[in-house]
Amino acid sequence: MVVAGKLKSYLKEIEKNNKKGKKINAILEVNPNVLKEGGKGKLAGKIIVVKSNINVKGLNASCGSKVLEDYTAPYNATVIEKIKDEGGLIIGMANCDEFASGSSGETSAFGPTKNPAVLDLIPGGSSSGSSAAVAADFCDMALGSDTGGSIRNPASHCGVVGIKPTYSSVSRYGLIDLSMSLDQIGVVAKNVSDAALLLDVIRGKDERDAISQESKKLNLKKIEEIPRNIVVGILDFKVQDKRIQELIDRKISEASEKYGWKVKKIKLDNLDLAIATYYLLVYVEFFSGTRKFDGRRYGEKIENVAGPEVLRRILGGSEISKAEHHGRYYHLGLKAKKLIADEFEKTFKKVDCIISPTVPRLPHKIGEKISIKEMYSYDTLTTPSNLAGNCAISIPIGKVEDVPVGMQIICDKFQEQKMLQIARAIEKI
Amino acid sequence: MDFLWHKVSEKEKKEIKKQAKSIMDSFSKKLSKIGKVPEFVVERGEGDREEGKSECDENFSRKLMFENAPEKNKDFIIGEKKSW
Repeated sequence: MVVAGKLKSYLKEIEKNNKKGKKINAILEVNPNVLKEGGKGKLAGKIIVVKSNINVKGLNASCGSKVLEDYTAPYNATVIEKIKDEGGLIIGMANCDEFASGSSGETSAFGPTKNPAVLDLIPGGSSSGSSAAVAADFCDMALGSDTGGSIRNPASHCGVVGIKPTYSSVSRYGLIDLSMSLDQIGVVAKNVSDAALLLDVIRGKDERDAISQESKKLNLKKIEEIPRNIVVGILDFKVQDKRIQELIDRKISEASEKYGWKVKKIKLDNLDLAIATYYLLVYVEFFSGTRKFDGRRYGEKIENVAGPEVLRRILGGSEISKAEHHGRYYHLGLKAKKLIADEFEKTFKKVDCIISPTVPRLPHKIGEKISIKEMYSYDTLTTPSNLAGNCAISIPIGKVEDVPVGMQIICDKFQEQKMLQIARAIEKI
Repeated sequence: MDFLWHKVSEKEKKEIKKQAKSIMDSFSKKLSKIGKVPEFVVERGEGDREEGKSECDENFSRKLMFENAPEKNKDFIIGEKKSW
């Protein structure tokens, strides 16, 4: 009965403020069967929104695009099967940047999502609807996908928790891909404990995703324990807005004093290569991955109906794929990716985690004119973890001019337990 | 420029193509300064799937798959109607 009451209250809030009222535009489709679903398990009573690039059987996996506007998912992604097996309720599908191609939540063909914290600002992207839905109280938690920061970036701008798990630790079967060597399904929630709970349900090896690997089960009780003897690495990076770095420094200083953590500044020499590396890989892999949208088996031909950012990646990806025999683009990207991954590996021998702002700037106004390079710079501090395959979390730590600011905690591959304990300890301050 | 979705004209497509190539060239230039990198081939090892172990999705809905197809016949989807 409690669950039914909560569900009805969320449905009422969606009805009030999604398309009407505040017009958040976080939800593209409400699950018509949600009142009949649910069951027993770890997620019993938890109400979940799913990014619309993840297949939920019978619902529209539009990817925020006209290409798949009428596409009904014929099967469940593995993560959805796991959620349903544990009694989670899927309330609806979330808006997102078109084919997850964006950092602002503005590129969806179904209109931009608003930031529930400050309505005229972008919520961040590409999992814009997932983060905005959690922040707007449309659900308890959400699924998103993170290829270069697409969960952490909107989580930071909307003031919620977002996790990008270690690459390969969560099955991508049923995820409509952006860039296969970087994509990772992850979670958004109102607090670290809920995020950990959902992550624990969806993680694990899956025969249907060839790269997936088994990882250690999370000890959810232990997440409440304060980790001792921690060495925190503070990333030495010049943040555009000093007020953001000040919030991070203050929080770390408090944590260090309260828990006795050691703090040291660390420099990543190859950090400034991350954006160039990331986009060279993404353009090529996205071009390759979208060849299936030819309008024959489902949907529309992508080149005919996609918006400008998707076309930029497809047309750019096509051009540099043709020129690849010189090894100047994708091959170079792979080399730089290896350099970045090696640097992280060495750094994690000296520190337990690397802490930085999640996003180095405050969000812009919806529809504001900015350059492509400015837009891509939103991902400066999030792309490195995707390139290295590490796990990372964004947690809210305060506000600048009423805009939420997130702190990013990066840990080595498969160190989610440690990362969640550090995040929870900081959350408690 | 703003990043809001809009329908793209043929003229704009040409501009986007040029712009995209120019961005990629600038990124390539930035990375061209990196020196030799030790082995960077993806190591698969334990992550490999054993042949014959892949599973069929029993919950896959053939009905929904057919509903998604723009052109179909009784029991097959028409891939292409033109001559090759």
